[in-house]
Amino acid sequence: MDSKSLKSKCWEIIDNRADWLVNISKHILQNPEPGFHEFETAEFVSRKLDELGLPHEKGIALTGIKGTIDGGLPGPTIAIIGELDSLRVAGHAHANPETDAAHACGHHCQIGMMLGVTAAFKEIAKNSMIPGKLVFMALPAEEFIDVEFRYGLHQQGQIEFMSGKQEFLKLGAFDDVDLAVMAHTSKTEEGKFSIGGTSNGHVVKYVRFLGKASHAGGSPHEGVNALQASMVALNALNTQRETLKNEDTIRLHGIMTKGGVSVSSIPAEVKYEGRVRGGTTEAIADANLKMDRCLKAGALAIGCEVEIITLPGYLPIKNDPHMSDIFIDNAATLVGANNVIQKPVRHNSGGSTDMGDLSQIMPVIHPYTGVASGTGHGIDYLVHDYTQAVVNPAKALAGTIVDLLCREDSPAKKILSDFNQDYSIKSYVEMQRSRLTKEKYVPI
Amino acid sequence: MDSTKIKSVVCDEIEKNKDKLIGVAKEILENPEPGFKEFKTAKIVSREFSSLDMPHESGIAITGLKSHLDSGKPGQNIAVIGELDSLKVLGHPFEDKETTAAHACGHHCQIAMMLGVAVGLKASGVLEKLAGKVTFMAVPAEEYIEVEYRDNLRRRGEIEFLGGKPEFVRLGHFDDVDMAMMTHTSVPSNECKISFGGTNNGLVAKSIQFSGVASHAGGAPHMGVNALNAAMVAMSAIHAQRETYRDQDTIRIHPIITKGGVAVSSVPADVRMETYVRGASIDAFLSASEKVDRALRAGAMAVGGSVTITTLPGYLPIQSNESFLDLYKNNAAELVGQEKLGRLTHRTGSTDMGDLSQLMPVIHPYVEAASGNGHGIDYVIDDYDLAVVTGAKAMAMTVIDLLTDGASNAARIVSENDSPLTKSSYLSLLRSMTKEETFKE
Repeated sequence: MDSKSLKSKCWEIIDNRADWLVNISKHILQNPEPGFHEFETAEFVSRKLDELGLPHEKGIALTGIKGTIDGGLPGPTIAIIGELDSLRVAGHAHANPETDAAHACGHHCQIGMMLGVTAAFKEIAKNSMIPGKLVFMALPAEEFIDVEFRYGLHQQGQIEFMSGKQEFLKLGAFDDVDLAVMAHTSKTEEGKFSIGGTSNGHVVKYVRFLGKASHAGGSPHEGVNALQASMVALNALNTQRETLKNEDTIRLHGIMTKGGVSVSSIPAEVKYEGRVRGGTTEAIADANLKMDRCLKAGALAIGCEVEIITLPGYLPIKNDPHMSDIFIDNAATLVGANNVIQKPVRHNSGGSTDMGDLSQIMPVIHPYTGVASGTGHGIDYLVHDYTQAVVNPAKALAGTIVDLLCREDSPAKKILSDFNQDYSIKSYVEMQRSRLTKEKYVPI
Repeated sequence: MDSTKIKSVVCDEIEKNKDKLIGVAKEILENPEPGFKEFKTAKIVSREFSSLDMPHESGIAITGLKSHLDSGKPGQNIAVIGELDSLKVLGHPFEDKETTAAHACGHHCQIAMMLGVAVGLKASGVLEKLAGKVTFMAVPAEEYIEVEYRDNLRRRGEIEFLGGKPEFVRLGHFDDVDMAMMTHTSVPSNECKISFGGTNNGLVAKSIQFSGVASHAGGAPHMGVNALNAAMVAMSAIHAQRETYRDQDTIRIHPIITKGGVAVSSVPADVRMETYVRGASIDAFLSASEKVDRALRAGAMAVGGSVTITTLPGYLPIQSNESFLDLYKNNAAELVGQEKLGRLTHRTGSTDMGDLSQLMPVIHPYVEAASGNGHGIDYVIDDYDLAVVTGAKAMAMTVIDLLTDGASNAARIVSENDSPLTKSSYLSLLRSMTKEETFKE
């Protein structure tokens, strides 16, 4: 069967499973779990893979899932990725009231897409010889949140890296993968499909200001107020504003996860989880230096200590241009060329994804499907058009995979030979390992 | 002639010179000059000493003067002090329009009081009834302002300390003085006319320079290091230590920015601040001074700049001598009535009379003749009779109590006084507070 027929077959299979796929996504929406907590989500995905009769490995990086479908002929291996985890957004319409977990970033649709592509590939591989393999993956923890919890997992040795793709890479789960695809939801006004541009890289901060408790009424002068130190630090951080270049798209932000324990006692421990994002490694390093000196300045001002743990975050994403072109052709066939937006290469979304890490190692695409209203990561981020959110992207990705592997000109092979790799998996893991630093500043 | 009679003769003499004395106070009010710049004011004092036929020394600590009346008999030397300097208060009704100098703290009345004591003792011819000496001093620069200007005088070697009385001490002008008094003006509290006692905050002063890197504030702000932001962070950090300043230490930290940049389109690279760090005890203000230093360092550190902190000794907390006060109190009661006397507690301002109080018995009472806010645009003297004439009489009467009967009261007070410091330990203490450090971290 030629690639066109294979693609039609894929689309037919996915269309036939449309309700099944949409219901899977909606079920996950109703049962949100943040990264490295996605036990029920993973179990649910596993059951659905069982329904498809697909063997798979579970519990990779705590909750991840991976399986392989062999096309029957030698050829490149392409991964289709769906992300398991939710965010935490208190007050989201579909938030779990106990945990605040909520799919305010649309990952629930990704699992539907992944299963759609997987179901289709399984069917065509049954009847045709495909030169290559499909690896299907449900990955934990793309949102880099719950830093203290994840650092705890790191210290216990349960994980080394604190995001799903980073940990999959370290565990060798990508060793047999040559190219990777996934699609993310975005806001409706960004077009039915969009692709291109880049994202910010980042480092993650886990910070503890350590002061001294004392009676806040009776003897505040005997305490050392860690909360005041953090206030000075955050004020200082804001004064760096003008030194951050627009083109570097720097974002310095964070949350305070502990700000004291009793209002009547001078806060002796304050915990801050922060993020330093930027468009380039150099820009992130520069902004990280500024973050550190502000944190230290807060401690110096009050005379307390500050412990700064810097964790390896994400790298900026590069969408492979040839893969992007193939995706755009497929998307245009599905929704019309005028509904597919190609973003300029230099366009930076400001956000970050561990798909960026993967993109420095192998050719990837990370397109968007515009289906949501509201603000990403906000309480009002809601997916409306589930056909465009799950079914169409599954078809576009499946079509892309078929083209990559089965087209006569063997695009996957050309892409791999043209690909300019920044890191091997080994050098990537070493580089990320070296980015984890721990410093305690004691002012003199 | 007993001391009551002597006092009455002296007070009559002061009363006779009332218009002249008030005239001098008002002439100084109209010619305000801040510390170490009191050249016109010093000329007025010199003229008045001359008109009393009192030889005097001028140009002490740049603008200071002193003269004395000697009984010719052995006894203690009592200093009667008036302060020459004005403040700077923009918008004060008697402000010098060019310099914003203004007598918003009533020092102009002090000079007239000091001259009133002199005229009372000299013109009445009572000196021979007394023992010991009275030294009259017009001392510059009590208000510790224009820190950068004065620090430059210091660097040029024209002064070592930034207040008039510490300079007078350093230069030896208090070496032969046993006791000192002066009277300040204030706003009436509890319908009193004269109040006394209590304590004052001491202080160190700081002259601060944040150094950054200038760059185009629109085109390339990332190439600059913003010294103004360093100062902002530092001030926030100073305030963030609020709760660590104990109530009883009455800490006061109140910076001003004297240079905040030169062009709005250029990232500020040189920002200057001045501040006091005041507190009720030497330990208290030195401990607060360390907190201020670390806040200043934090500001510089946060922006990646540097800070140079020059810490200069300010004034020491005041402690009035109780026996000395007892004498003064009785005289004041005679002049304004017992019910018009007030007892002060702790005041959070500072005066270099505090320094003298660590070395010898002193009193620093207040004639409550003003209205408005001290150091504010509305601080004016309403009752010149009280501010100048009564103030002078009370001090003159106290001098008489001290120096009659062979200066026995003065001798007793001096011998009973337990001064915490000697001139040499005082100068060492002040010098130990002086430091200049640059931090880049």
